[in-house]
Amino acid sequence: MAYQVSIFLENKIGHLERVTAVLKAAQINIRTMNLNHTANGWGILNLVVSDPKMAHQLLIEKGLSAALREIVVIEMMDQPGGLDDLLKEIVNAGVNFTNAYGRSGYGNENAYFVIDTEDVTDARQKLLHAGLSIMPDELIYGTH
Amino acid sequence: MYWENELETLNRTDLEKLQVQRLKNTIGLAINSPYYGSLYQKMGLSADSIKSVADLQKLPFTTKQDLRDNFPYGFLGLPQKEIIRLHSTSGTTGNPTVIFHSRHDIDSWANLMARSLFCAGVRDTDVFQNICGYGLFTGGLGFQYGIERLGCLSIPAGAGNSPRQIKLMQDYGTTVAHAIPSYLNRLFEVFQEEGLDPRKDTKLHTFVIGAEPHTEEQRQRIEEMFGVKAYNSFGLTEMNGPGVAFECTYQNGLHIWEDAYLVEIINPDTLAPVAEGEVGELVMTTLDRQAMPLIRYRTRDLTRILPGRCACGRTHVRLDRITGRSDDMFIVKGCNIFPMQIEGVLMKIPEVGADYLITLDTINGADEMIIEVEVKKDWFNGDITRLDKLSRMITGQIRDEVLVKPIVKLVEPGSLPKSEGKAVRVKELRIALNS
Repeated sequence: MAYQVSIFLENKIGHLERVTAVLKAAQINIRTMNLNHTANGWGILNLVVSDPKMAHQLLIEKGLSAALREIVVIEMMDQPGGLDDLLKEIVNAGVNFTNAYGRSGYGNENAYFVIDTEDVTDARQKLLHAGLSIMPDELIYGTH
Repeated sequence: MYWENELETLNRTDLEKLQVQRLKNTIGLAINSPYYGSLYQKMGLSADSIKSVADLQKLPFTTKQDLRDNFPYGFLGLPQKEIIRLHSTSGTTGNPTVIFHSRHDIDSWANLMARSLFCAGVRDTDVFQNICGYGLFTGGLGFQYGIERLGCLSIPAGAGNSPRQIKLMQDYGTTVAHAIPSYLNRLFEVFQEEGLDPRKDTKLHTFVIGAEPHTEEQRQRIEEMFGVKAYNSFGLTEMNGPGVAFECTYQNGLHIWEDAYLVEIINPDTLAPVAEGEVGELVMTTLDRQAMPLIRYRTRDLTRILPGRCACGRTHVRLDRITGRSDDMFIVKGCNIFPMQIEGVLMKIPEVGADYLITLDTINGADEMIIEVEVKKDWFNGDITRLDKLSRMITGQIRDEVLVKPIVKLVEPGSLPKSEGKAVRVKELRIALNS
């Protein structure tokens, strides 16, 4: 089971850096990220990091609103059409998601696609059933 | 079960007799002051003008502006050598409001304060931590003298430094504490940060909260967070400070000590008395203060006198919770709004934290009310849709209450300004028109 760390942030100068400073101090690596913004001056930062549990705990200790949120991470080909091919299969599997982002492949690491969905267990089952390969945690978080 | 059996349960006829006698004494002293002396002489008023409590109506009101205009000594009813202490407001908006006390006044105040605490169930066996600024602010020394008069072990902790407050509570087994309600939210956060639960890790059973208006919902939150009974304390510097009116253990209104204060409720626009039980501006007269008597002082606080008698047996009337100040009402898009209305809505929503800030601003030429609200940390789960729903729910509920649609902004916990003194709840940034 893979997790992203989700952090509630006001859209103000320096607020994102407060988060990255905590991660830097603990030598936690950011693998991929996504930042949402709403019209009401706040947003949510989603991070896939080398040690999500530690990152979550440290951010909470700093007084931030942070949550560990389960995600489904699917392997993807890093080539033109890679995401489209994957999405066709996700569509066929009948899985909807509320948020998604990705990571390119580097060296011998594959690219991957992160989805945040309301019912993770159901989504994971459907995707497995459709023959998609869900990434193991160590590949998501990296060996670091 | 009273601090002063006879005085606290005096029948109304005898209480009024005492009030008339004390009012006459008060006028006798007031006439010695430059302000009342010349005013009453012009109007032909003296102690003899008073035959009954109703005769109070013949006397003019005293306002905060009168105090400022006659700063500092214009209201002194005793020679300066008889004065032993002064307390004062910060005076951020003009001359500070300063009140002088004689030895008798300090003694009388300490007694009223002890009576108030006793009324809320505090006893000489309690360990009392006063989390309040000592100095010119009345909440420090005012409580201190009362706590000592009652005979508790007093801890004059002063304001702020939450980790130290917690350590004092644990070291000495504090059972009662006094603080302003907005600070207690902060204190609870620090308990949590230190991995402590005040319900289990302290001996606290009672809080006394006051010095800033708060809602019933706010009180219940404090009671739940700390596992205590929280009693509302009402006072104002002009009437000494704390110890003016206090809740008894029935928690149904604040007994105002009528042997020391005469109470009126008026319509702030017409200045006429309101009908019994109606909300209006509280007007008070000191009955037992020598150095600086104040007669028909307009407090600006809005409240009402609760009908009926309290089950505790005290005969002194009860004030309702202060709903606001006649001068802290603001107008947005033609609607009259009190900050307490907004607090009432917010505190009923469990996902919302204890702090909030209302900002009034001009956006694209229109009045807007922006409400910044903290979301509770442990409720956040990273779901953007849920936060958005919450934001819309708060907007809707506030609009239903005050008839103006606010702009609700969710903010990070702990990001709203925390003050050691009274919390600032309303910020005015609107451009004054035709000023």
